Amino acid sequence: MDTHKGVLVVGEITEGKLAPITIELLGAGRKLANELGEELSILLMGSKAGGLGQEGIAYGADHVYVAEDTLLDQYNSEAYTQVAAELCRKALPSIMLLGYTDVGCDLAPRLNGRLGGGLAMDCLALSVDPATKLLVSTRPVFGGNAQATIVSKVARPQMATVRLKTMPPAERNDSRQGKVIPVEGKIDPSALKVKVVERIKEETEGVKLEDAEVVVSGGRGIGSAQNWGMIKELALALGGAVGATRPACDEGWASVSLQIGQSGKVVSPKLYIAVALSGAMSHISGHLGSKYIVAINKDKDANIFSVAHFGIVGDYKEIVPALTAKLKELKSK
Amino acid sequence: MNTIVCVKQVLDPEIPPAKFKIDPEAKQVIPPAGVPPVISVYDERAVEAACRLKDKHKGKITVISMGSAKAADVIKHAISMGADDGFVLQDPAFENLDSFGTAYVLSKAIQKIGGYDLILCGRQAADWGAGQVGSILAEILGLPVVTLACAIEAVDKKLKVKRMVSDGYEVLEAPMPSLVTVSSEIGLPRLPGGMGLMMARKKQIPIWKAKDIGAEPSQLDKAKAHTEVTGLSVPTRKTECEIIAGGTPGEAAANLALKISKLI
Amino acid sequence: MSPVSATYWSIPGYVIFWVLFAVAFGLFLQRFYLLYRLMRLGKQENRFDQIGQRIKNMLVEVVPQWCTLKTVTRKDLAGLAHALLFWSFSLFFISYIIFIGLAGGFGLSSLIERTPFETVYFSILDIAAVLVTLTLILAAVRRYIIRPPRLEPTAEAGIILIMVFSLMALHVLGVGFDHAARGVHASWPPLGAALAGFLSGTGISQGTLEAGYRWVWWLHYLVILSFMVYIPRSKHLHILASLVNAFFKPLGPKVALEPIPLEALEAPEGSATFGASKIQDFTWKDLLDFYACAECGRCHVNCPAQLTGKSLSPREVIHHLKEHLLETGPGLLANKTDASPGSQAEAPGKTMIGDVVTEEEIWACTTCGACQEVCPVNIEHIRKIIDLRRNLVMAQSKMPESAQLMLRNMQQRGHPWAGVQSMRLRGDWTSDLELKILAEGDNADTLFWVGCTGALVERNVKATLSMTRVLKAGGVDFAVLGDAETCCGDPARRAGYEFQFQMMAEQNIELFKSYNIKEIITTCPHCYNTIKHEYPRYGGDFKVVHYTELIADLISQGKLKLTNELNSKLTYHDPCYLGRYNSVYSEPRRILQAIPRAKLEEMERSRDTGFCCGGGGGLMWIEEQPGTTKINQMRIEDVIKTGVDTVVAACPYCLQMFEDAIDHKGIKESLKARDLVELVEAAMKQF
Repeated sequence: MDTHKGVLVVGEITEGKLAPITIELLGAGRKLANELGEELSILLMGSKAGGLGQEGIAYGADHVYVAEDTLLDQYNSEAYTQVAAELCRKALPSIMLLGYTDVGCDLAPRLNGRLGGGLAMDCLALSVDPATKLLVSTRPVFGGNAQATIVSKVARPQMATVRLKTMPPAERNDSRQGKVIPVEGKIDPSALKVKVVERIKEETEGVKLEDAEVVVSGGRGIGSAQNWGMIKELALALGGAVGATRPACDEGWASVSLQIGQSGKVVSPKLYIAVALSGAMSHISGHLGSKYIVAINKDKDANIFSVAHFGIVGDYKEIVPALTAKLKELKSK
Repeated sequence: MNTIVCVKQVLDPEIPPAKFKIDPEAKQVIPPAGVPPVISVYDERAVEAACRLKDKHKGKITVISMGSAKAADVIKHAISMGADDGFVLQDPAFENLDSFGTAYVLSKAIQKIGGYDLILCGRQAADWGAGQVGSILAEILGLPVVTLACAIEAVDKKLKVKRMVSDGYEVLEAPMPSLVTVSSEIGLPRLPGGMGLMMARKKQIPIWKAKDIGAEPSQLDKAKAHTEVTGLSVPTRKTECEIIAGGTPGEAAANLALKISKLI
Repeated sequence: MSPVSATYWSIPGYVIFWVLFAVAFGLFLQRFYLLYRLMRLGKQENRFDQIGQRIKNMLVEVVPQWCTLKTVTRKDLAGLAHALLFWSFSLFFISYIIFIGLAGGFGLSSLIERTPFETVYFSILDIAAVLVTLTLILAAVRRYIIRPPRLEPTAEAGIILIMVFSLMALHVLGVGFDHAARGVHASWPPLGAALAGFLSGTGISQGTLEAGYRWVWWLHYLVILSFMVYIPRSKHLHILASLVNAFFKPLGPKVALEPIPLEALEAPEGSATFGASKIQDFTWKDLLDFYACAECGRCHVNCPAQLTGKSLSPREVIHHLKEHLLETGPGLLANKTDASPGSQAEAPGKTMIGDVVTEEEIWACTTCGACQEVCPVNIEHIRKIIDLRRNLVMAQSKMPESAQLMLRNMQQRGHPWAGVQSMRLRGDWTSDLELKILAEGDNADTLFWVGCTGALVERNVKATLSMTRVLKAGGVDFAVLGDAETCCGDPARRAGYEFQFQMMAEQNIELFKSYNIKEIITTCPHCYNTIKHEYPRYGGDFKVVHYTELIADLISQGKLKLTNELNSKLTYHDPCYLGRYNSVYSEPRRILQAIPRAKLEEMERSRDTGFCCGGGGGLMWIEEQPGTTKINQMRIEDVIKTGVDTVVAACPYCLQMFEDAIDHKGIKESLKARDLVELVEAAMKQF
C-alpha cells in the first residue's frame, strides 16, 4: 500500500477556467496532502488544458497532469475514464478526489470500477485518520437521515466525490511552484462505444438555481399548478430562483430540473424559503447548506421547522402574497 | 429486446424523520415496526423504463434483487408493473457486501441469465445510496455504461439515452448491450394494472444462492472489502426556529419580510 | 253492439281488430325481443335467488307506489302525482283488457256491456280520468313552464302526455257517444252521462251518433295499440322495466359491488376484462337498469358532485349508457351471430369511457349513495361508476395523479396516507396506553379496529384515544392490532383497484381468524361497511359493530353514564356509509339525546337524504374537481343554517372535511367539529 502516495484531484474546466468545484477540491486536497506529508496533483483534460497548468499550481497543486486531446474537450465517459485510469496506474495516488457533479457522478464510479479502489460519493467532509493515515469520508445516507463515515482499508486509490460548496476553495497564490507534466497516452477511439449525439442547454427563467443567492421552494402542499405562481412571484420579488420538492415535480407544477434534494440538485444559497413542504430528509439534504432557511407551513410539527431559522405557521396562500407585496414595497423604498 | 433490471428492497424513505433510529454500534438502521420495506425509488423507475421499452418493442424483462428472502416482494412488484421473470439472490455470504461485492454477485446472476440487450439499475439506492454499483457492474461485464438517464429509447438496434446534466441534457447513443442507470426524472412509475397484479400473484420467485450463480467465496471475502462503514450517526441539528408572529397572517408575513430584507 | 261486430268495407270488424292487434303486438314483441337480446349481451350475474322475497319486494314497491312515494319531500311532491297516475292508469289498463279486449275482441260484449259492473267501473274511471288529467296538466306545467333542473323538457315526455290525455278523452267520448246513440239517460258514469246529455241536446241524428261512437271506439283502440308500440321505444319503457328491476333489486346491502371473480385471473393473457370498457362488460342487470330509467332526475338533483358544479350527473351517465347500448348493441348482436370469434368490435367512433361517460364524470363520484337511495326504479349507479374506474385503473392505468399516489401508498405502505404527510406511524397512537395489543399466538373475542385515518392523522388520533377511554369506561374487553393493522381496503376498492382490495381483504381476514376474533368494533363507517358487508364474500364472517351502535347499547344498559352537562347546541351529520349504506340513523341520535344539555338540531338534509361531506369513494385523497364550490363547503352551509355551535361527525373523513371547511370559512370561533365519541367522553362521568 505504500506503493500509493499523494492526493490526485480530477479537475473540471468550465469556460476555459478551473471550475469552482475544482478549486474547492484543491483546497480540500491540499489539506489532506499536508496532513499526510504527501504531494497534491491535479489532472486536467482538454485540448487547451495546458494553459491552466499554472493556475492549478497557484491553487495548490504540486503537479499538474495535462492530457491534451480534442476528444477530451467535452466530457466523454469512456475517454475520461481511459485517461484518468491510465494516469492512476502510473502515478499511483493514494487518494483521488472528484466533484459530485455531472462529470464526477459518472466518472468516479466508473473509474473506481476499473481501478478497484474504494469510493465514497457525495461527501460532506474529508479527513485523515491520524492513527491509520486512512482517508475518512463523511457522506449522507438514508436520504440524509443519517451520516456515515467510509474508509477504504485495502483498496487503492481511496476515492471520494465531494459535494459542491461544502469545502472552502483553495486560495490562489501565483508565486507557488510546481510542475506541469503532459500525460502521454492515446485514447483508443474504438473503445468509445457511447457517442454523444447532442447536448441541449435548457435556459432557465431568471436566475440559475445553483447560482442563486435566494431560492424559494414549494412542495406538495401547494396543491395546484395555478397556486404555483405564488412561488414564482415570491422568487421574482427576491431576485431568486424557484426550486421544488420531488412530489411537486411529480405533480408537474415545476420542471424536474428544479428538483432539490437527494435525487435532484443540491443548493446552498444565502436564503432558502421553503413553502408548504413538510421537509422530508431527502429534500432537506439538498438545501441544508443554505445560510438561512425560512419555513412557511400550516403544520407546526412539520419537519422543516426543525432545520429552519425563521418560520411562520399558517396557510401559505395567505402568507406568501402578503410577503411578496411587503418585500416589493421595501425594495421600492 | 431483453432487459435485466437490478432492484433493491430498502427501508421506506417516506417514514417520518422523527422515526428514524439507528444502532451506531452495529452501524445499522433500526427499521420501525409496522413499516414494510419498499422498492428503492430509482430502481422502481428503472423498472418503469424497462416497461416502457417493452411496451414499444416487446421482449422480456427479468428482475434480480440481492437481499433477504423478503426481496421477493420487490420482484413481485416489478412483475406487477410488467416484468416477466425475477430471481432473488440470497445467501449469508451476500450480507453486508460493499459495492464491489454487490456488483460481483449481480454480474454472476446476469451471466447466468444471459441473452440481454440492456441492463438497467437505479442511479443509487434509496438507503445507503453508494451510487456506484451500476458502473462497477458495467466494468465487470465489460459493457458500455450511461448514467443518470431520464429517457431511454431503442432505435435501430441502438439505445438512445437522454442523460440529465445540470444545465440541460445530453443525448447519447449506445450499442446493445449496454448498462444504463436511471434517474428519477424518467417520470412516475406506473401503477400495476390488473393483469400485472394477477401475474405477480401467480409467480413463484426462485432464490439463487451463491453456488447457484457460481459466486466465488474469495470474491465475497469481507476482509477484502473495498470500502467499509466505520461510523453511522444521525446528525443533530440545533437550529432554533424563530416563529414569526403577527395578529393576522398578513402581519406575520410583513414581519417576516422585514427580517428577510435584513438578511440579504 | 260492439263496433267490432260490424263489418267495414265488407271486412268483419273482428278481422280488423285482430289484424291491428297482431301488427301492434308484433311490433311490441319485436322491440321487446331486441331489448331482451341486448340485455343478454351483458355478463352473467345471479339475481334469481330468494324468488319469494323478490316477488314480495316487487309488489311492495310497485302496487302501493312506495317506489315514488318514498321520494316525496315538501319541495318535491311529484311522487304523489306519479302514484295517482299509476293507480288511475292501472284501472284504465284493466279496463282495456275487459272492455276492449274481452268485450270487443273476444266478443263477450253481451256479458260485459250495459251491466251494472260496467256502470260502476266506468264511474270509477271517470274519477280516475279527472285525476289523470290533473296530473298531466301538472306534469306539463312542470316540464315546460317551471322547468326544475331534474327534468328535461323532452319531446318524448310531450308525446306521452298527449297520448295519455287522448286515452282519457277518448274513453269519455266513447261513453258519451254510446249513451247518446242509444238514448240512455243516466247520471252514471258522470262524465260520460253528461257528455251524452250534451250530445243528445245538439240534435245530431242517431245514425251520426252511432257512427261517431264507432269511430271513437276504433280511434281509442288505435291509440291504445300505438301506446303499446311506443312504450318500449321510449323512456316509458320504465313502466315495464322498473317492475322487473324491482324484482331483481339487491337483497343484501343497499350498495353492493361485485367482486371480479378469481376466474378472471385464469383467463388466457389479454382476454381478461377488468371493469367495464365496453357496454357488454356490464352485467345484464346493469343493462336492465338502463331500461328502467325514466329520466326522472331525482339522482341528478341529489348528487353532491352535480350540485357543486361538477360535470357528473348520475341521470346523464345512465341515459348516455342506455343510448350507447341501443346504438352499439345491434351491431354487437350481428357480430355475435356472424360467429366470428373474438371480433366484438366496438361501434365505430365511440369509446364508452371518454365519449359516452367522461373520465371527469367517473372520478367525481363520492359513492355517497344519494342517487341510489332516491331512485324510484332501483338503479344501481355506483357499481357502474366503479366498474368504469376499475377499467381505467387496472386496464388503462389512467387516473388522476392524486388517485395514483393514494393507490401506490395503499400498495406499498398498506394505507392511503403518504408517509411524511402524516408524521406518524401506525402503532404510534398506542404508546403509553395500557392496551391489549395482539401478538402472535394471542386470542381475543373483540377487536377494536382503528382504521388508517384514526391511527395516522393527528386530528383523528384524538378521537381514537377518546374511543379507547370510553370503551374502557364502559367495561368493554377489547384488543387492538397496533402496528400490525393495515387498511381495510375501502379506498382501493372505491377507486377501482379491485385486486388490491381483494388482497387486503384476504390478508385481514386471515389475520382476524388467526386471533379467533369474533366481533369487530369500528370507528370508521367505511371500515364498518367494508368488513361487515364485503368481507363475507371472501370468507370473513365477523360480527361488526359501529361504535355508535355499541355506545348507544352501553348507555341503555346503564354501563355508561353521561352526566356532565355539555351546554351546547349541536347538529349531527349522517355519514353516508353509516346512514344510507347501513341505516344506522337512530343510535347516534339516541346517544346525543342522552347527553345532558346538548340540544340536537336537525339539518334539512339528514338521515337518508343526508348530504355527503365530500370524502367518500376515495375522494378523501383524489383531488376534488373544480366546480362552483367544494362539497364540504356546501355541507357546512347546511350546518350553519341550523345555528348550532358544534357539528358532530361519526366518521374520520367527515370530521376532517368539516374542520377543513370551517377553516376555509374562517369560523373556527363560532363552530367546532367534533367526533361523537369525543362528546361522549366529555359527558361521561369521570371515574
